[in-house]
Amino acid sequence: MPSSRPSKETAGLILPGVLFRRALGSDYFVLGLCVIYALAVGPFTPGFFTPENAANLLSTALPLLLVALGQMIVLITGGIDLSVTSIIGLCSVTGAMVMNPESGGLGGDMLTVPAGCIAMLLVGMLVGTANGFAVARCRMPPFIVTLATMMGVGGFAVWLTQSKAINQLPPAFNALGGHTGIALAITALAAGCVQVMLNRSVFGRWLYATGHNPRTAHISGVPVGGVLIAAYACSGMLAALASVFYTGQAETGSPVLGQRILLDVIGAVVIGGTSLSGGRGKVLWTIFGVLFLKLIDNTLNLLSLSIFTLTIVKGAVILLAAVLDAWRIRVAGHPA
Amino acid sequence: MKPILFLLTLAIGLSSASCRKSASSATATQGDGTSPADKPLVIGVAFETLQTEYWVAGFEAIRADLKQRGWTMLEAVSDGDTNRQLEQVKNFITRRVDGIILVPKDSKTCLPIIKAANAANIPIVLFNRPADKSEARSVAVVADNFALTKETVTYLVSEAEKSGRKHKAALLIGDLGDINAIGRRDGFDAAIKGKESVIEVVARIPTEWSQEKAQSGIVNALQAHPDISFIFTSSDFLFPSIVSALKGAGKYHKIGTPGHVILGGFDGDATAYQMLKEGYLDATGVQDVYFEAKQCIDAILDLRAGKILPELIRDPGFVIHQGNLEAKSAQMWGAQKR
Repeated sequence: MPSSRPSKETAGLILPGVLFRRALGSDYFVLGLCVIYALAVGPFTPGFFTPENAANLLSTALPLLLVALGQMIVLITGGIDLSVTSIIGLCSVTGAMVMNPESGGLGGDMLTVPAGCIAMLLVGMLVGTANGFAVARCRMPPFIVTLATMMGVGGFAVWLTQSKAINQLPPAFNALGGHTGIALAITALAAGCVQVMLNRSVFGRWLYATGHNPRTAHISGVPVGGVLIAAYACSGMLAALASVFYTGQAETGSPVLGQRILLDVIGAVVIGGTSLSGGRGKVLWTIFGVLFLKLIDNTLNLLSLSIFTLTIVKGAVILLAAVLDAWRIRVAGHPA
Repeated sequence: MKPILFLLTLAIGLSSASCRKSASSATATQGDGTSPADKPLVIGVAFETLQTEYWVAGFEAIRADLKQRGWTMLEAVSDGDTNRQLEQVKNFITRRVDGIILVPKDSKTCLPIIKAANAANIPIVLFNRPADKSEARSVAVVADNFALTKETVTYLVSEAEKSGRKHKAALLIGDLGDINAIGRRDGFDAAIKGKESVIEVVARIPTEWSQEKAQSGIVNALQAHPDISFIFTSSDFLFPSIVSALKGAGKYHKIGTPGHVILGGFDGDATAYQMLKEGYLDATGVQDVYFEAKQCIDAILDLRAGKILPELIRDPGFVIHQGNLEAKSAQMWGAQKR
């Protein structure tokens, strides 16, 4: 009677295949890519393996991670939020106007920084909620809605300041973005909240269900409209929190702050493995996606490559990640 | 959750390293023991953009000058992103460069960048865009935007006076977050002050240094005021938009022919040179990009040697027009690119 167990030769072929599939399907696939990339490029990159560079890498990755987490939430529902960059700009000038001693009127009061931060978060949440309302209640395509918001909100921020940057912000506020330890603690808290929301709450399950199939989710009793509005509101609020860091780092409120990071945000989330078609995404994947993108950015900068090379390489890497993602879903049946 | 805990621990370790970095960077740059003059230097050059001819010319002028001295140039372009520029300068600091040349996005957002260089004891010189007054220490090499614009527009007004009639004028203003744009706008206003019988400004077009905005602005202005006969742009790189709009309105004529619109600009780029040569452009204020590049590099040397420099080093520039085109074109950077 023939044995159902594979022979030694067959096992020798199957085992690497299984390991390969497991590696492709693993949550830590992109982290593995980060390690391989760092080990391959690091020795040839002057200053790469230094604590200063690691701190620099971290301080620039944290605000990007916050925006990317918001984008991930929206992508899980099957939508997209192109307006995050404009939300960053509008929140930046709103906070700066509140905290600037000339325009804010709080004049060094101890409530200045909390008032500025709350105003920024409220504005972010408000714009996000408006996006969500247009998508959920008016049934408009997320791409069009958030594209229109990007243009409208961006223009409004420029009009509000007449294109001028606003400085003289309180040092305590600047420290929120400028001090890596504080920024790390806040980002970790925000990422932890998103993690709990996605994995341990009913709302998290509703998000995935809405992304997989909104019609089925609706029939199953998921309040799809409310879930969508909340998802865009979360994205807006996380973009506002990132704006707090970006504004603090620049020590200036600017209507064009963060205007160029949309490619990085979407790129990082997609590299991490979050699906553009919805229903799939994890906090850990997004952390690794941001890390990978910032590693590329950081090494290419340290190598002093020209802006043209840098942009081409980054575009190619994002494309490669999207291709790889499609391939690993096919080969490894990547878990949702 | 173990990998998350590992990542968190790693991140906390890295963030605590950031607290020590200022001191270690400063020690490294101060303690090398070599005199500034006797070793090839490494200079970090961080530009906000390379989108216009002027910035490309400046970038190349710095590169050529550094190469001639046998020094190394590390380059970075932030593409208009202030936070990215801060990251790039921190990368320069990590690589222990001997000096930094910076073109910031504006006069305010560059302050943390300058402070980071100050903390690392690395001399920083701003090319063509000065910073706001603050405790951050830097030197800026910059054209006298106000004086040079005033001189250019005064020449244009004198040309307008020769026609013996009143001209309706349009002014294309740059990004008002850029102190250079403000200087040029104020220079224009100072030149036409008291000349109300010759010049009446009917359109002030905010371009935010965008060709698209300039194009739509000038088209709208020409529709609202078809009799505009005097246009000054705060930067030559907007001339293609102006020429296109003038051609569309049937108003693009050579100097001396009926219907010629008096044209003036600022920068001295290749388009302006071509328009001067072909007889369409009346005058432009030329920034001496080679002078500015050399002054930036010399300033880094001086700062490394401990010399006290003024906060602003002025590029006097010059006005080029039909009367001195032959004599001055050799000094015009735009003419060298043709």
